[in-house]
Amino acid sequence: MAFSCKNSSKFNGFSGCIKMVMVGTSAIMMQRRTLAMEASLCVKKSKKKGADSVTRPNSQISAAMAAVTPLLLLLLLSSAPSFSSGSRNAYNINGRVKIPQGLGTKGYALPGRMSNVKVLLNGGQNITFLRPDGYFSFHNIPAGTHLIEVSAIGYFFSPVRVDVSARNPGKVQAALTENRKGLSELVLEPLREEQYYEIREPFSIMSLLKSPMGLMVGFMLAVAFLMPKLVENMDPEEMRRAQEEMRSQGVPSLSSLLPGGARN
Amino acid sequence: MAIMSFIFAFFFFSSLQPILSLYEDQVGLMDWHQQYIGKVKQAVFHTHKTGRKRVVASTEQNIIATLDLRSGEIFWRHVLGPNDVVDGIDIALGKYVITLSSGGSILRAWNLPDGQMVWESSLHGPKHSKSLLLTTNLIIEKDNSLIVFSNGRLNAVSCIDGEVLWKKDFEEESLEVQQVIQPPGSDFIYVVGFAASSQFETYKINAKNGELLKHESTAFSGRFSGEVSLVSSETVAALDSTGSILLTISFHNGKISSQQTPVSNLLEDSPGLAVIIHSSVTGIFAIKTDAATIFIRVIGEGKLEVVEKTNHETVVSDALSISEGQQAFALVQHAGSNIHLTVKPAHDWDSNLLKESIKMDQQRGFVHKVFINNYIRTDRSHGFRALIVMEDHSLLLLQQGAIVWSREDGLASIIDVTTSELPVEKAGVSVAKVELNLFEWLKGHVLKLKGTLMLATPEDIAAIQYMRLKSSEKSKMTRDHNGFRKLLIALTRAGKLFALHTGDGRIVWSHLLQSLHKSESCRQPIGLNLHQWQVPHHHALDENPSVLVVGRCGPSSDALGVLSLVDSYTGKEFSSLRLVHSVAQVIPLPYTDSTEQRLHLLIDADKHAHLYPKTPEAIDIFQSEFSNVYWYSVDDDNGIIKGYALKTKCSGNVADEFCFDSRELWSIVLPSESEKIITTATRKLNEAVHTQAKLIADQDVMYKYISSNLLFVATVAPKASGEIGSVTPEESWLVVYLIDTVTGRVLHRMTHHGSQGPVQAVLSENWVVYHYFNLRAHRYEMSVIEIYDQSRADNKDVWKLVVGNHNLTSPVSSYSRAEVITKSQSYFFTHSLKAIAVTLTVKGITSKQLLIGTIGDQVLALDKRFLDPRRSVNPTQAEREEGIIPLTDSLPIIPQSYITHSLRVEGLQSIITVAAKLESTTLVFAHGLDLFFTHYAPSRTYDSLTEDFSYALLLITIVALVAAIFVTWILSQRKELQDRWR
Repeated sequence: MAFSCKNSSKFNGFSGCIKMVMVGTSAIMMQRRTLAMEASLCVKKSKKKGADSVTRPNSQISAAMAAVTPLLLLLLLSSAPSFSSGSRNAYNINGRVKIPQGLGTKGYALPGRMSNVKVLLNGGQNITFLRPDGYFSFHNIPAGTHLIEVSAIGYFFSPVRVDVSARNPGKVQAALTENRKGLSELVLEPLREEQYYEIREPFSIMSLLKSPMGLMVGFMLAVAFLMPKLVENMDPEEMRRAQEEMRSQGVPSLSSLLPGGARN
Repeated sequence: MAIMSFIFAFFFFSSLQPILSLYEDQVGLMDWHQQYIGKVKQAVFHTHKTGRKRVVASTEQNIIATLDLRSGEIFWRHVLGPNDVVDGIDIALGKYVITLSSGGSILRAWNLPDGQMVWESSLHGPKHSKSLLLTTNLIIEKDNSLIVFSNGRLNAVSCIDGEVLWKKDFEEESLEVQQVIQPPGSDFIYVVGFAASSQFETYKINAKNGELLKHESTAFSGRFSGEVSLVSSETVAALDSTGSILLTISFHNGKISSQQTPVSNLLEDSPGLAVIIHSSVTGIFAIKTDAATIFIRVIGEGKLEVVEKTNHETVVSDALSISEGQQAFALVQHAGSNIHLTVKPAHDWDSNLLKESIKMDQQRGFVHKVFINNYIRTDRSHGFRALIVMEDHSLLLLQQGAIVWSREDGLASIIDVTTSELPVEKAGVSVAKVELNLFEWLKGHVLKLKGTLMLATPEDIAAIQYMRLKSSEKSKMTRDHNGFRKLLIALTRAGKLFALHTGDGRIVWSHLLQSLHKSESCRQPIGLNLHQWQVPHHHALDENPSVLVVGRCGPSSDALGVLSLVDSYTGKEFSSLRLVHSVAQVIPLPYTDSTEQRLHLLIDADKHAHLYPKTPEAIDIFQSEFSNVYWYSVDDDNGIIKGYALKTKCSGNVADEFCFDSRELWSIVLPSESEKIITTATRKLNEAVHTQAKLIADQDVMYKYISSNLLFVATVAPKASGEIGSVTPEESWLVVYLIDTVTGRVLHRMTHHGSQGPVQAVLSENWVVYHYFNLRAHRYEMSVIEIYDQSRADNKDVWKLVVGNHNLTSPVSSYSRAEVITKSQSYFFTHSLKAIAVTLTVKGITSKQLLIGTIGDQVLALDKRFLDPRRSVNPTQAEREEGIIPLTDSLPIIPQSYITHSLRVEGLQSIITVAAKLESTTLVFAHGLDLFFTHYAPSRTYDSLTEDFSYALLLITIVALVAAIFVTWILSQRKELQDRWR
């Protein structure tokens, strides 16, 4: 255990690390794991200080462990993620669904509308519901990239890509997949309202007139009332000629078409 | 005149509003929706307070629901996730429903009136264990608390906000906690369990702070088997692992004393292996043997006495405390077609508080569970109501010797659906009870006209709506001209067959299948699928149509099969047989015998083919088509797809002329280290294709490759077969194949890198559409593959056609090796999918739409034109005219094209499309926990008038026109006369 003591003296600046190393027992596996844990903690701390210092603790460790096999270094890197949370490999995703007031005033205002909203993780693998204030949480989620969908009748929600980082527990990165917009916090709002029904146009004279029926009636009226006017404005000479022409061609008038008109 | 009205009518047709979607007042005209909750596992009554009486139920389908105790209607309902199995429910503080789920790791509280979740807390523990929920009226730090034992940890949780007040771990590896008991009125808790299955352990815990007060343990010579039954708050009864010795253990004040009684001492005849029944009645417990249920009373210090031995199927309820220190429980026994409900006080077996006999429909089977609740009658005596769960999963409320309401919750777990035609309307027999007379008909239409002109008063609107919904036309029991009225025949997990009328969704008949009934020879029967056995057409119209129900006696594929034939008009099971072979596959052959019975080939696990029906006529028909029968099998586990053909008659020692040996024709072995089969899809057998040619822009023709032997297979990297997010894009891929199942030829293979399942696919005509997850973009995608026959492409030359030098008349056959080309395109799609289907019309002329069951349990219709590989960003003018939509990266979701409009089909499992006789219309049936049915016209109802067509307006127009003609005639005559006089 000689080298581990040396270690601790070197890392005096990192109080968190010292304890860990002191815990290390003589069993070599245990020791490796503690060191690995220590390293990950150190990396995290140094990250806050600045990017240039990231490599420092690692190099220090390796320098201190020159006697130890290089395999240790490998272990250092590979086992780092599994230690970053208390309960191994399980995280919680907390978020909130917010339906803005003003939306949803018409239509589906069923009692307890918020209670009909479901939040689904990874295509229905986990389902959770909203608390009265709109908050939801998924428990025991492994680190990785996940997809959250919100199912709410009357609203269109974009699915959200959520990255649960193993290195920074509790840190959740989220982005809407529909428009690739990043979310600073997991607050989901509907992109738009969904109207499932066609809206009946209210009755109006214009719509009646615009319909084919209306146009047809309009045309007929126009013919019935405007044509005689046109005829009146015609030159009487010309009209007589036209009438004669019509008679000679034998174009029947409306009255002659009908049974009563046969008299003449 | 005739011409005039014809022109008018023509204009009427063309002026119809292009409605693809619904108006809100059209809900319920063509569609119906039914909600179910599934088989009830646990029920808790809430009847103390004034107000509406409710019952809270949890079901095997992971649902929490509250039902109206008066009518059985659902107040609210929540469907938990597939892995979120409900372990226990209770009511706390009189206003919260508490549920413990997910193996005891999630505790939720729901507001009783509206179902809003109030709090949720996650409970963890050191190890996996039994989960127990105990509501107490214990007050810790002013909070009412719950005691939850789960995952090896005892938690006290506040009812108000779900906060854990204290916890105590039971980490000992071998400890199996069986019960958590709080003796009434005390402030300590007993945790009782077995350690290493031979040690009995009790822990006495302070309920205020979780402190361990006392720990005692005693070793026994034998081993315990599973369950214990609580006899009193300080006594339990258990059985040893041989099932022959009864142990009563009392742990009064932490001191354990036990008594062993061999079961044979209590019963004269050897009962065989006994199992303890979980119940909570003070002083009494029950054991169940193969032959009987035995009730045993504990008298004094571990002395046992048999109080009753019943040989019928008997179900006992939990104890219900009816007044101070008095408990009651219910027993349900079967006697012929009646059931006897008895409520007894716990302390006195011989007296009855209630004894009722209720006539029960034989089709409901045995009673599986009973829950009781009491109420005070006006004369201050106790009345009881019982909620019973039947073998067919239905739920009934019994009160005062009658069934108050019943719910057919078996329909929440449909396995397979098929349809059947209704009887033809015979002359002289009026089936509709009330035929409308002409005056009423006209009145109705005038009302409708008022409605369209927006002149109707609210009463009129209500009358119109009522008239539309109650139209006797749609729920008649006869075949209609348009083919809208049919029977939907559904097989449920409980082994019951239901026939639903498509008009209004009512149950026409239901039948509990004998073949799927538990019996000595068939211990675990499960239904597999339904096939149309006999569809009388031309020369067998007197026969009723029938359906074939295929099942097997166990979950493994080599379990023996069972068949039933059921008349689809009456629901009578006219034939039921146990097979001597297993059923791995059922192939309906396209041949029928003289009575229109369809020939079916059943393939067993050893790849023998068995022909049904077993008639000489069938074998004659089959012999002539012997060489044309091919089939394939997909082995998901090993990644092998094999094709088979028939060889000879079975060579076995039994001379069975209906059994045939098969030979393997081809096989495709996928590398198991890189590909795992997750989905396959084939074309529907009954799909009609109108034309093989597809006219494209510039007067060009493409020939669709239409083969009924096309198989779509999707495989993923074995690593990526898990859930989303478990792999990186680099190590996952999706490979899709199009395979000809007769020759085994791979027509097309395509790889999507960085994608993974689950894959939902649908194959129709010459295209396949599938949905998967793209890990790189982290979005869902849908792809389309269209396959065209290139060998016919040179038939465009008119001269060749004239000379006869073309191959258009040669049949499409798997024997000829057609040259094919494929086109493919992918698009993003927003939602996860639960199911996908395509509309089906009788002649296949109407354009297709995809029906997509989204994760939100809605069904979305999406025009196939959006999934056309020929879409491009800038289509040419000619392509635009052809109807090609400019390419976009994602598929649009138009809210109006949700065919389920504002409804949800909770737990959606599959979407079934059936062609109506009217070419434009598809009947769509979506089922899951809920059922939803509607008519859907993918290209609008171009061949019929819509429901809201106003005949009255047409009539009035015609009358007005006739009047106008007469008026103008008179006017013109008068004018002519005046002209003459002039």
